[in-house]
Amino acid sequence: MSKLDIFFDLSVRSVRLNFLRSMLASIGIVIGVVAISSMGMLGANMQLEIKDQLSGSANTIVISTETVRMGAPGQMFTSSSSSGISKSQLTQIRNAVGTNGTVIPVISNSTMYTINSVTGRGTMYAMEPNDITAFLTIANGTNIQEDYQCLVGSTVATNFNVKNGTTKIKIGSSTQTDRPSLRIVGVLEERGSTTDGISTDNAIIVSKSWYTDQYSTTKYSQVNVVVDDIDNINATETAIDEKLNKNKDAVRIDDSSSRLSSISSTIGTLSSMFMAIGAISLVVAAVSIFNVMMMSVNERIQEIGILLSIGTEKGEVRRMFLYEAFILGLVGGIVGAIASFVIGYAVVSSLLGTTDYYFLPGSLIYLPVGMVVGIVTCVVSGLYPAWRASNMDPIDALRAE
Amino acid sequence: MTETPLIRLSDVSKVYHLESGDFTALDHVSLDIMENDFVAIMGPSGSGKSTMMNQLGILDVPTSGDLYIEGKNVKHMSTLERTHLRRDTIGYIFQKFYLIPLLSAYENVEYPLILKYKKRDATGRAAALLESVGIDREKSNHRPSQLSGGQQQRVAIARALVNDPKILLCDEPTGNLDRKTGIQIMDILVDLQKKGKTVILVTHDPKIAEYAHRTIQLEDGRIVES
Repeated sequence: MSKLDIFFDLSVRSVRLNFLRSMLASIGIVIGVVAISSMGMLGANMQLEIKDQLSGSANTIVISTETVRMGAPGQMFTSSSSSGISKSQLTQIRNAVGTNGTVIPVISNSTMYTINSVTGRGTMYAMEPNDITAFLTIANGTNIQEDYQCLVGSTVATNFNVKNGTTKIKIGSSTQTDRPSLRIVGVLEERGSTTDGISTDNAIIVSKSWYTDQYSTTKYSQVNVVVDDIDNINATETAIDEKLNKNKDAVRIDDSSSRLSSISSTIGTLSSMFMAIGAISLVVAAVSIFNVMMMSVNERIQEIGILLSIGTEKGEVRRMFLYEAFILGLVGGIVGAIASFVIGYAVVSSLLGTTDYYFLPGSLIYLPVGMVVGIVTCVVSGLYPAWRASNMDPIDALRAE
Repeated sequence: MTETPLIRLSDVSKVYHLESGDFTALDHVSLDIMENDFVAIMGPSGSGKSTMMNQLGILDVPTSGDLYIEGKNVKHMSTLERTHLRRDTIGYIFQKFYLIPLLSAYENVEYPLILKYKKRDATGRAAALLESVGIDREKSNHRPSQLSGGQQQRVAIARALVNDPKILLCDEPTGNLDRKTGIQIMDILVDLQKKGKTVILVTHDPKIAEYAHRTIQLEDGRIVES
């Protein structure tokens, strides 16, 4: 320890001499660090969880038009909007994709239905039966073999106690007479939230030929392209864009990664906001550190006078007080980081229900970040008191009692 | 004498600007102090003793006139140069000892060495000096508040000597001590002067001033007798 800076030593002694006061001020820093770190970790965990959930559909391009509003089934069976993707556009998409992936046209609509005399509401997707197996997974039952057969999502199956092959579903509002009735032949695997526009858990899947017969629609709500090699996704998107949007922006082309980044950035903004709220407590802590440092300077005026008069440089006196602030910050930062680790774990597990992502670097990084912010806050709060101490007149300072 | 004086005050004045008007604490004082001198500066309170002490200690700068230390004009020095001059050339002994309360006796003595060499003392100089002024090893681990006045002043002398300064500036060094201890402290100072130090005593006690070889009498900021 022979190389230990004596000014650091003096600072340590001063903190020890006023232990209670110093520790109380440090508690402010602890709270600030905990607020920042645990909020940061909460945001990071949310982001990691969502990223994980969405990455399953990362190889899918979604092509849609801005407004797709079809006539509601069971009411007027006419399309109220010409918007949607036409057959010729679909052909263009198929040409653009070529052998790089699978093109899956989808018609979707919101509908009322009745199963076992109970009414429900959900999305109805119309797809080619071959595309259904290419894009979705049937948990049990079979795929649609003919018209007047359909599949339902896992939530629908559970809620309505669906029996494969026997349960029938009536499509349309219950006030309507002459509703078409379909046989449920299969239940889809739970899919969760996705970014490809197809959420099947609370949906009915019908064959495209039945749908167009019923509702005489010629346009598709969206076309999904599942790219075989994810590295080709940008090239494929560009090819589609060049074909369809050559003259005007006819369709909108999205992929999961761009949706993912927009969701991530939203969560990022939210978690920055949480952290900013946490930072307010750090500002309060900074004021109390400032106060403690000013007290320390004022109590030691005579000592500062001695130091200056026997040849201590101003910079050395300044350093002594900055060390003191640093020590308060370091103690607060370390205790705060440990507390954040525990509190953050509790917050994440209670709000997100999972701690799978808690120990990843992207989440734990907020511990050192919070600690550094706490220490920097302390040192910054100590700047003025340190400056004041170093610029005292030694004669006046010596005379102080 | 052609020898350069160690300290030269040339027409030095110090004026304090107070609300009640300007107060001249030192009024055109000129004075030479040679190396190895033993000088006592005397005078009643308010005569300018403390102001003189602050000037000689380079804790303050003259309002007008020039102060030379080893031939160098203090006026032309930067704050940092003056700080280093205080550290290396002058040893301070104060009436109230002014030890650093947070440090032990040993660390107080070691402190100026660290200021100068930026590292802890490995030469044993601080310990040897403490021993030479009569502070034993056990006492040197005590904080100033655990020592008697006489012991504190001995520690202060050891601290003043540790960077081997040419000048020892003593402001009422026995003022807070009983008579017997005061004599012991004065004996140490006499001995140091014999070993080559220049000792400047500021005191109002004529018995203490008797130790000096030369007495300068101040009154109303002027030298009335020297």
